[in-house]
Amino acid sequence: MTIRDTNLAGFSNRFDEYTELRLQQNTNVRIALLNGDVATNTKSVNSGVSTRVFKEGVWGFSSLAELDEQSIVSCIEEATRNAQFLARHAARDDVDLPGERASHESDFATTKPRKSQREIIEFLKSLDDHIQSTYPKLHTRAVQLWNLDMEKRLYTSDASSSYSNVTRSLVYIKLVTIDANNQPVELTKPFGGRGQFEDVFDEPEILHEKIAGLHRHLMKKREAVVPDAGTHDVILDSELAGILAHEAIGHTTEADIVREGSVAGEYVGKLVASPLISMVDFASTYDGEVLPVPVYVDDEGVESRDTWLIKEGVLQGFMHNKESAQHFQTEPTGNARAYQFYDEPLIRMRNTAILPGTDKLEDMIKSIDDGYYLMWPSNGQADSTSEFMFGVTLGYEIQDGALGRAITDTTISGVAFDMLKSVTMVGDEMNWGCAGMCGKKQIIPVGMGGPAIKCQIHIGGK
Amino acid sequence: MAAVDLVERCLEALKVKGFDKAQVRLITAERHELQAEFNKPSLLRTVHNNSLALAGIVDGKRGSVTLNKQDDDAVEQAIDTLWGIAQGSIADEANDISESQPPQQFKEGPEVPDYEAMYARLDELLQYTASTYPTITMGSAVVDHGKYEDILANSNGVHFSTTRGRYGAQLMFTARDEGGVSSFNSTGLALNDMNTPIAEIATTDTLLRQITEQTITKKVPAKFVGDLIITPDCLGSFLSFLTGSIAAMPMIAGTSLYKNKLDERVAAEMFSMHSRPLDLMGGYFVTDDGYPTENSTIIENGKLRTYLLNLYGARKTGLDRARTGGGCYVVDPGEQTLESLIGDVKRGILITRFSGGRPNDRGDFSGVAKNSYYLEDGRVLYPVSETMISGNMAELLLNIVGVSRERADFGIGVYPWVRTRGVGIS
Repeated sequence: MTIRDTNLAGFSNRFDEYTELRLQQNTNVRIALLNGDVATNTKSVNSGVSTRVFKEGVWGFSSLAELDEQSIVSCIEEATRNAQFLARHAARDDVDLPGERASHESDFATTKPRKSQREIIEFLKSLDDHIQSTYPKLHTRAVQLWNLDMEKRLYTSDASSSYSNVTRSLVYIKLVTIDANNQPVELTKPFGGRGQFEDVFDEPEILHEKIAGLHRHLMKKREAVVPDAGTHDVILDSELAGILAHEAIGHTTEADIVREGSVAGEYVGKLVASPLISMVDFASTYDGEVLPVPVYVDDEGVESRDTWLIKEGVLQGFMHNKESAQHFQTEPTGNARAYQFYDEPLIRMRNTAILPGTDKLEDMIKSIDDGYYLMWPSNGQADSTSEFMFGVTLGYEIQDGALGRAITDTTISGVAFDMLKSVTMVGDEMNWGCAGMCGKKQIIPVGMGGPAIKCQIHIGGK
Repeated sequence: MAAVDLVERCLEALKVKGFDKAQVRLITAERHELQAEFNKPSLLRTVHNNSLALAGIVDGKRGSVTLNKQDDDAVEQAIDTLWGIAQGSIADEANDISESQPPQQFKEGPEVPDYEAMYARLDELLQYTASTYPTITMGSAVVDHGKYEDILANSNGVHFSTTRGRYGAQLMFTARDEGGVSSFNSTGLALNDMNTPIAEIATTDTLLRQITEQTITKKVPAKFVGDLIITPDCLGSFLSFLTGSIAAMPMIAGTSLYKNKLDERVAAEMFSMHSRPLDLMGGYFVTDDGYPTENSTIIENGKLRTYLLNLYGARKTGLDRARTGGGCYVVDPGEQTLESLIGDVKRGILITRFSGGRPNDRGDFSGVAKNSYYLEDGRVLYPVSETMISGNMAELLLNIVGVSRERADFGIGVYPWVRTRGVGIS
């Protein structure tokens, strides 16, 4: 039984209540070369069936690792029993899910011949050899590959059906040098994006120039200074704007976080940012291009729609699943997504972005007398108060409108709905980050995008 | 028996395929999860899954494949894939499997979930919170039970089997009143039974009470260098730099701050820390590289007593393999009460949650103090917001000046309150 070819509608006679039936397979390939040695060389395939049943205001869920007909039937029966158990204890009459019907098939698997893991290791080894021979003074080099394919087939009792195979291939390069105090200084950057390895990486040489850029920044970071702790004028590079969109506003406007108490609940229709700021959680495309994590039908069978979060500084609304849409008396937006076959769908971002403005990056830098240019992010976190933070692994001082010394790793934070009011310039070039992995009970791939932003932000340091 | 047979058949097939050495691990797991959202029970979730992990070494080249299927076709295909993966790799004489050891069986914890008891504890928690702290929204409260059967065997004759069950709870909550909305906070527990109200375990009730105070916050009055009192809820975040730095990859790469620091001082003398997977409910019996785990002392009176090297890391660095697989950290209690720890602070922060960027290899960190309080002249003054702390993780451990007598047992770690100095606060 293949996921693509299974007719799930044939099991609908087993549905007693509102039911979602999903088959899914996640395939992960991870290879890590550390100073030329293969430290990790693994492939994992996780597949199975899950069923979620809604009865009298509560949910039952079941999942099994097998993909045969009997397992699908057992899964439906167990999820139904679970819903019945919980309904006996905690039935509610205040939830009535909206009916939604959608249908779509999308497949981002390569049509090229697949490369073997040996060929992929040879690709990575070639990169490693290039780094070793070109930059022999490095202390440590790590070349890591992470491929993830997520294949799903869904059928719901509303007769929604979908098939999707969303793929992603990333190569992370980490370079480490030693500074004057004999301490390690590191810089890591992911390359790649949506698609399987064969479509994303052609020849290793395509990364040489990018590695050269990484090395140039590392050499400057070797002489880095600690930033001055406190609030400063900054330019957030377009490579950083995506995580700003995701952490600062995105999480705060997920409807389940709003129900938990997020301050965004009070602000719909109000000015929460500079009028220069507009922000959208895109479903699948932007400007005619397919985005890093295209979602056409979500895991509740809802057609995935672009969701305006902020328009010219005014908060527009939230990202929804069926239940939150019913609670807020609005339409579901197609944001319900699950990571593994055994996960229930949660409200998740898809491709969240601040829209570009009209300013040139060089003009933005020139406009700052004393501040920082912050370029590459690491991890981040959001909060119900809209106070966000994320790590910055690469940045520079700005003095009198010109870039100065590199700064050490730092963290930036702010209250999103205050910080976004401080935005005075928005760049005209859009950048999409394809390596995002968001954590919220489950992890899940997300896309993030945006232009360079001039604003005031709190920087950690001395 | 079917599971044992499958593992043995896989081992035999790997040998026939041509692998010089092989390891097979089969984990069959079942998880039952009762969840409440927004103060009301919302979901009963059951997960049946398994993991068949095959690892093989041929001519010094290693690969591994993990699948969650057990039928003959899937296993045969996985072995073919593994052969290709390993053959395509690069030989490394550090690749190995654990040596021959006597077989052992392990068994611990409740194997069958009691749904009624789980529901009763969840309902009791929701009712207690609603009546005692009515401004709290329990965004997510999960009471769960998990059971797994784990067989690890290798071509050197190793055979370990484990049957383990445990309950757990994970809570995430905020408060809202006329003053505003708090940050979210959360806690997690591993439990042997459902005999105790969840609010009475570890720091749960303290966190619930505190969140109701955190709807109105202030910034710290000025930038300063002061003390941190790190709560048990947060101490693991600050110890993870050390435990990560003494693990295999940074030690092999030579980027670990703690290389060549065995038996040297890495923390204040009053600080001792252990890994006790055999003692805690969240623990385990067998390591991923095929050894029965042992409890180990990581830091004894401030001195580093072991690295956390697996078999590959040990062979690669020439250092000893750790006797523990890591995790389940237990920090020894100190001699001061929490009250006296706070009483000694001239100026600082009581930190309950740290939201920060990953420290660099040198341990430099900065991040936001969440669900935290400003301390001055020995008193807790007010909950803070928009407060950044920065410093160095390694120095933070060396600068510890107090450890509390009181500890909190989360089942996955046991931690006291710890006072340290010299942290930048802005």
